[in-house]
Amino acid sequence: MSEVTLESLTKRYGDELAVDGIDLTIRDGEILGIVGPSGCGKTTTLRTIAGFETPTRGRVRFDGVDVTHVPPEERHVGLVFQSYALFDTMTVRENVAFGLKMRDVPQRERRERAGALLEMLDIATLADRRPTTLSGGQQQRVGLARALAIEPHVLLLDEPMTGLDAALKTRLQTEIRDLLADLGVTAIYVTHDQEEAMAMCDRIAVLNAGTVEQVGTPSAIYRRPANAFVANFIGNSTLLTGVAADGRVDLGFAELEVAAATNGTVTVAVRPEAFEFEREGPISAEVSSATYLGDRTQLTATLPDETTVALHADAAETYRTGETVSLSIDDTSVHVLE
Amino acid sequence: MSIRESTAASVRRVAIFASTTARPTTERERERRRIAIMCLPFFALATVAGFVPLAMLVRMSVAADAIWIEGWSLDAWRTLLTEPTYRRVAWNTVWFVGLATVVSVVLGVAVAHALEKYDLPFERVVVAAVSFPIALPGIIVAILVIAMLGRQGLVTNAIAAVTGTSAIDLASATAITGLFLGYVYSLVPRATMVLRGTYAEVNTQAEEAARSLGASRWETFYHVTLPEIRPGIAAATILTFRSGLAIFGTVLLLQSHYVVTLQIQREISVGTYRPDVAAAIGLVYVVFIVAFTFVGLRFVRTDTVTL
Repeated sequence: MSEVTLESLTKRYGDELAVDGIDLTIRDGEILGIVGPSGCGKTTTLRTIAGFETPTRGRVRFDGVDVTHVPPEERHVGLVFQSYALFDTMTVRENVAFGLKMRDVPQRERRERAGALLEMLDIATLADRRPTTLSGGQQQRVGLARALAIEPHVLLLDEPMTGLDAALKTRLQTEIRDLLADLGVTAIYVTHDQEEAMAMCDRIAVLNAGTVEQVGTPSAIYRRPANAFVANFIGNSTLLTGVAADGRVDLGFAELEVAAATNGTVTVAVRPEAFEFEREGPISAEVSSATYLGDRTQLTATLPDETTVALHADAAETYRTGETVSLSIDDTSVHVLE
Repeated sequence: MSIRESTAASVRRVAIFASTTARPTTERERERRRIAIMCLPFFALATVAGFVPLAMLVRMSVAADAIWIEGWSLDAWRTLLTEPTYRRVAWNTVWFVGLATVVSVVLGVAVAHALEKYDLPFERVVVAAVSFPIALPGIIVAILVIAMLGRQGLVTNAIAAVTGTSAIDLASATAITGLFLGYVYSLVPRATMVLRGTYAEVNTQAEEAARSLGASRWETFYHVTLPEIRPGIAAATILTFRSGLAIFGTVLLLQSHYVVTLQIQREISVGTYRPDVAAAIGLVYVVFIVAFTFVGLRFVRTDTVTL
């Protein structure tokens, strides 16, 4: 497996800038998630690494070797697609062995290696079936086995779970994460689902408008978002404006004991779970909507200064629109944006 | 159940079917009526312009007097089966149109691939240029061939000027090569239009997956694209072959190779006037086309291509 480095990667289509000078290193054996809203450049970045797009500027390196102008068939990259992209005219075994056939691996060895991968992914009994007769989850396992068969430098997964039902998605997430970890595969996992990225990836790069907003571990990204975009895109945050001075931030309706890098006006990101419901807390808020979600009730409430906040409440409690709730903020769970 | 009871039950079912279609009470019956209303005009036309004339052809081919369609005779069929000319015409037609079909479909695959897989500059102009021979009468195609490959033809004289050979010796418009060129020019757009539809269904991501797995562009085409477009190729082959069999204007003017349409024209010309033989050839032609289409459709997935 390889370390993948993107140096000032830029891709322009006419006047449209799809990727704007991305610098990123994916470590050997790491699963890096790329998340961001639609059109942020994540798929373009993935296609550039695979060799299907040539960057307008910048370089792609595998283990330090410049592969920017190497065609896709010579890059040794495994691709897993959202649409599975299986070869419908071949059997499952032929799909998995295809890359080995293109590398002139003898037929017997191809069969053995394909069989081993199918066993590993628990689909050995489907070897002689056509992909169109399989369920979505089974097809995605075939796609993964096919990509892994060539022992790629890097495995690129482009929204592989989209379209699968929630239970299957959760099961596959665990299986794929454990499998990639066992094999030590360097993988880049593109998704628009930040929860999926957090479940699957060692680190996450948050993209917005073709640039990297933040790279870090899932917990770092969640707990210490670099800016308002990351705070809002990863999870749900309320951004409050306050005045920082002497290790405290005055929000007007409450004071927090959090250190800010500078004194003066600052923005504080507060996650819904940082708000605590109190019998007589320092903050009063009026419930404007309540949505029961099974494990919790999601509330939106209005603070005295008309700021709208998102709250997670105990599902056992009942809340009505217009009701006043009493809150406090857990100082340790808020983050001052730089 | 006896035969009489079974027949009576069938008649009853048909009567109920017709009655409920005429006066529907359920949504299914209303749908059936809509279908009937949409299709009836065509079937009325097909009856007048197709089925009845076809029945007339059958009668003509076994008439003792084919002009007044009187009496009965199998002379026309006997002539068709025993005279070597007709076997030669049949063979000429099959190999010539078959070869033109193969070349046209191969060129059609290449053009459809270029049009569907790449962002071509002036794509609309290219599509118009590729498709416009469909609208050209065969006789105009023949004139174009003469203009290029005839004795005064542009290509003939250009080659003559370069090689120093006589333009008269080089002229090939009225040779079989000129006719072949005219056929292919007329047929390529038909093949291309069918194949473009098929190419639009090709899974581009599967092709990309193949390339990432180490397949070259050619290997990707051979292993992934070609199996996917095979139904389209079968459909294009059927359509192109049928269209090739029907070409008349081009072969009438260039007359370098005797094919079925030219032979029918000869049979109804002044001098050799034999409408019964022409009718018999026409029937063989129709039966052959229908049989060929049915056999060909076995290789076509009707959910991916239509003819």
